Amino acid sequence: MENMTLLDFARGPGLQWALWIFTFGVVWRLVGAIFLLARKDLSKPRRHNSLVAGIGAVISRSAPAHAFEKKIRFQHVTGYAWHFALFISVLFFAPHILFFESVLGFGWPHLPNAIILLTGVIAIGVLVALLIRRATHPVQRFISNADDYISIFVVLVPLITGLLAFAHFGARYETLLAIHLLSVEVMLIWFPFGKLMHAVMTVPARFQAGTAFGRRGVKA
Amino acid sequence: MNTEPMSLQDFRGLLTNMCEGVSGRDLSDEDRVRRAKKAFAQKLNGHRAVDLDSCLHCGMCAEACHFYEATQDEKYAPVYKYRLLRRFYRREMSPMRWFYRPFTRDISGADLKEWQHLVYEACTGCGRCDMICPMGIKISAAIRVVRHGLAAAGYVPPEMRILRDEQRDQNTQFGVGAEKLKALVAEFSAQGIDVPLDRDQADVMLLTTAVEVLLFPDALAANARILNKAGADWTIRSDAFEAANVGIITGDDPTMDLAIKRIVDKAKACGVKTLLMPESGHAYQTMRWEAANEMGEPLTFDVVSMPEFISSAIAKGRLTLNKQSNGTSVTYHDPCRLSRKGGVTQQPRDVLAAMGLDVRETASTGRENYCCGGGCGEYVMCKGADLRQKAFEIKRRELDEAGADAVVTGCANCRMNLMIGADNSGWQMPITSLVETVAANLAD
Amino acid sequence: MRKNQNLGEYLQMQGVSRRGFLKFCSATASLMALPPSAVAQVAEALATARRPSVIWLSFQECTGCTESLTRSHAPTVESLIFDAISLDYHHTLQAAAGHGAEAAREAAMEENSGEYILVVDGSIPVGNPAYSTIAGISNLDMLKEAAEHCFAIVAVGTCAAFGGLPNAQPNPTGAVSVSEIVKDKPIINVSGCPPIPVVITGVLAHFLTFGTIPELDALGRPTAFFGQNIHDRCYRRPFYERGEFAETFDDEGARKGWCLYKLGCKGPTTYNACATLKWNQGTSFPIQAGHGCIGCSEPQFWDKGGFYDPLSAGQWGSRDALLGAAAAGAALGVGSALAARARKKRAMAEEEA
Repeated sequence: MENMTLLDFARGPGLQWALWIFTFGVVWRLVGAIFLLARKDLSKPRRHNSLVAGIGAVISRSAPAHAFEKKIRFQHVTGYAWHFALFISVLFFAPHILFFESVLGFGWPHLPNAIILLTGVIAIGVLVALLIRRATHPVQRFISNADDYISIFVVLVPLITGLLAFAHFGARYETLLAIHLLSVEVMLIWFPFGKLMHAVMTVPARFQAGTAFGRRGVKA
Repeated sequence: MNTEPMSLQDFRGLLTNMCEGVSGRDLSDEDRVRRAKKAFAQKLNGHRAVDLDSCLHCGMCAEACHFYEATQDEKYAPVYKYRLLRRFYRREMSPMRWFYRPFTRDISGADLKEWQHLVYEACTGCGRCDMICPMGIKISAAIRVVRHGLAAAGYVPPEMRILRDEQRDQNTQFGVGAEKLKALVAEFSAQGIDVPLDRDQADVMLLTTAVEVLLFPDALAANARILNKAGADWTIRSDAFEAANVGIITGDDPTMDLAIKRIVDKAKACGVKTLLMPESGHAYQTMRWEAANEMGEPLTFDVVSMPEFISSAIAKGRLTLNKQSNGTSVTYHDPCRLSRKGGVTQQPRDVLAAMGLDVRETASTGRENYCCGGGCGEYVMCKGADLRQKAFEIKRRELDEAGADAVVTGCANCRMNLMIGADNSGWQMPITSLVETVAANLAD
Repeated sequence: MRKNQNLGEYLQMQGVSRRGFLKFCSATASLMALPPSAVAQVAEALATARRPSVIWLSFQECTGCTESLTRSHAPTVESLIFDAISLDYHHTLQAAAGHGAEAAREAAMEENSGEYILVVDGSIPVGNPAYSTIAGISNLDMLKEAAEHCFAIVAVGTCAAFGGLPNAQPNPTGAVSVSEIVKDKPIINVSGCPPIPVVITGVLAHFLTFGTIPELDALGRPTAFFGQNIHDRCYRRPFYERGEFAETFDDEGARKGWCLYKLGCKGPTTYNACATLKWNQGTSFPIQAGHGCIGCSEPQFWDKGGFYDPLSAGQWGSRDALLGAAAAGAALGVGSALAARARKKRAMAEEEA
C-alpha cells in the first residue's frame, strides 16, 4: 500500500504479525512442555477429587499461607497492586476495549478515564519499584537474568507510551499512538519466549500442584 | 549380643568414624557431565517441564527455606539449587531449546562439584519451598532430580555412599541385620512383650529401622504392644524389616528399588494386607507414595503409618487410651515427609488429644512446618554440620515459643536430629516419640 | 475591471465602503492570526494590490470544492476574494465554453507568465491519462503545461492534495496528487473533502497580503489552519476525558452530546480547522451535528479502515490465520516433546554402574 504511515503499519501488518507470533509461540511452548507427559501415579490416592484440588490450587496459591505472610508481605502486596493496576488499565479503558472487540469480536463495559489514569500511574510506579527491588535485593539480584529485565522493560514501555498517548504529550497524536501500538506488539512477540509466559503457565503449574498434593491429602 | 540402646554419644562417635578415610569417587569431568545429563533426561517429564518453564524469579522460595533464613546466603535460595536442571532442560529438552541454546550455559564438571553442597548439605528435601511458591512449582522435586544427576555423576557424599553400598550389597544399615533384630526380639520376649517374628502369613507386617533398633528400641517395643493390644494379626520379618531407604535419600534409583522390592516381595509372599510403617518420614513416603510407581504396578497391600493405625483403631473401638488429666502440654513436630509430603497431619494430633494432652502448635505448623534440619539421614555427613545446627536453631526457637512441656515427634530421624541439636546447644527440652507416648498410655 | 486597476479602486467602484473593506481586512488578519496592529498593513497591501491572475484547473473531482467555496448567501469574505483576484479560468464559474474558454486560458497563462497562481482541484489519473481529459487534453498534460510558468500552485481539496477518493483502493484510474507530478514549484495543499471555504480564501488572502507562501506543515498544508488536530479543539473533549461515549447514533450518550470516539471519530488523528472555524459561516461541524469526524483532510482517509471503526481498533487480517498459527504451534510443540521423550527413553534404556 503506498504511503503507509507508521500508524498504518502498527495497526495493520505489525499487529497481524505480532498476533501470529504470539499465538504460535504460546501454543508451542505450552504444548511442548505438557506433552512430555508423565507416567500415571500408581499409588493409592488418599483423596480422589483431583479436579477440585487442581482448580482450588489455581485460586488459593494467590494467597500465601499464614506462616509465610510476614516474610513475603512486600512482594505479596506489590504483586497484587501491580496486577490489579495493570488489568484495570488494560481491560477497562474504553479505547482498549474497542481494540479487543476488533480482535475477539466482543467487548465489555468500560471505566471512567480518571480511574484508568490512576491505575496506569500506579502500575508504572509499582513496576519501577519492583524493578529496583530485583536489582538490589540479594536473592533476586542473584537469581535474575536478562529475561527478567527484558520482560519488565517490554511491559513498562507500553505503559509509559500509553500514558503519553493518553495525555497527547511528546509528539503528534498519531505518532504517539503508533509507538504505543508498536510497543504492545513488541511485548506480544517477546511474550512466548520469556518470563511473561507465566501469565499462561500459572494455570497448569498451580493445577498440577493441586492434584499432586491433593491426592496425598495435603492442601497444595 | 548387646541389646542395650546405643547412647547418642556413641552413635555420634560411630558416625565420626565413618567420615574418616572416606573419599570421593574418581571420574573424569566429561564422564560426570554425561552421567548427570542422562539422569536428568530420565527424570524429566511433563510435570517437571511445566514447573521449569514457570519460575518467575520472585525469590519467595528463599524466604521459606530454613538454610537461607539461617544464613541469609542467597545461593541457598531453593530455585538456585535446581538451576543445573533448568539449564539442561532449556538447552536440550524444552520446546524452545533451539531458541535458548545460544543463551544458556552448558553444565560443567565444576558446576556438578559446586552443587554437591547445595543439594546434599544445604537441602533436606523438606518441601517447604513447594508450599510458598506462587506458581505452585514443586521445587523440592526439581532439586531431587538434581540429586539424581549428582548421584549418577558420582557425587553422593562419601558417608552416604557407604551406607547406600551397605544397604544395597549387605541388606543392612549400620550393621543392623537379621541377627541384631532377632536378639532384640528375644530381649522383648524376656520383658513380656510378644513379637511374632518371621510368620509366613499375616494381615499386618510391621517394619522397623536400624536407628530404632540401635537407639530407640522402646519405639519398636511400643509398636509391638500397640499392635498386640489392638488385636492385630501381625508379624515382623527378620529378612525384610528395614524401612529406611538410603536409595531415595541419595538419589540412587537401583538401591531404592532394590530395598523396596525386598519388602514388597515379602509382603506379597506373606499375603499381607497392611504394611505398617514405623516412625520414619522418608520410609513412609517411599512405601506409601513411591513404591507402586517404582515397581510398575499398584501394591497388593495398604501402606499405613502408626498414627493412622492408632487413630483408626481408636475410632473402631479396638484401642483405648488413658486420658491424662494433669494438663501436660506437648508440641508436635511434623516430620516433613510424613506430614507435608505424606498427608498424615491430623491423625497424630487426634491421637495426642485422645490421651488428654494439651497440644500446643508452633507458629509454623502442619504443612508449613519447619524441618528439623536433618533431612532423613543427612546427619551421617560430617560436612554441613554447622548448617544443620543453624537450621535446628530456627526449629528450636519455634518449639520453645510453643510453650509446651515436651516435644513429640513421629520420625526417628527427626527425633535424632533434634537430640543432636539439643546435645550441641544444651537444649533441655524433653523429646519423645508418639508411639512411645501411646504405649505408655494404653488402657487395660 | 481594468487589468492595471488595483483592488482598492475596484472595490470602491463596486460600491464597497471603506468601512466594509476594513472589516474584511480585520477578518483576514485574524484568520491569519496576525495581531490587530497588522490590520493596517493588510489594508494597505490589499488596497494597492494588483489583482493576480488565477487559473483554476478542475481534474478528477466532484466539484465539491467549488461548491463549498461558492455557497454563500450574503457578501462574504469568500465572494470578496473573487473580487480580489482575476479568475481567468474556472469550469463552473466561467461564462465562456468550448474553444473560446481554452483560448482564454492560454492567453491568460501567456500574459501572466511566471506570475499567475494555479489552483487545482481533483486528482490526476496516470494509470491511463485518457480517463480524464479537457478539450481532448489529458489532465496530466494540462497540469504539466500550466505548472511550467505558474508562480505557485494551490491544490484545493484532498483529491488534489493527496489523491482523495479516486486514489482510494483499488485506485482503478491510477489517480495521484498534484505534488506527485509537479516537483519544481511551491505547492500549497489545502486539503479537506471539501476544505472549509474560509481556509481557501485565507490562503489566497495571505498571498495577496504578503506575496509569499504561508508556513506549511510536513504535508504541505498551511499550519495556520492545519496545525492542530480536531481532538484538541473539539468541544466534546471533556466527555472523552471522562470516558463518556455515545455507543450508537441514537442512544442516551448521543443525545447528550457525548464523545463520538466509539462511533469511529477520527478527530485525534485529523488536522483541520473544523472545530474552531466550523462550516457555513461558523454554524456547525460534523461532530457537533452528531457524526464522528471522518478525517477528510488526511491522506488516504478512505483507506484507514471504516469511518465507524474506532481509532484503537486494529486493521489487521483474519481470525482464521490465528487458528492456523495455533495449529502450527501445537504441531511444533508436540514434535519437540516427542523428540525429548525419545531422548528420555534412550537415557532410561542405558544402564550404567
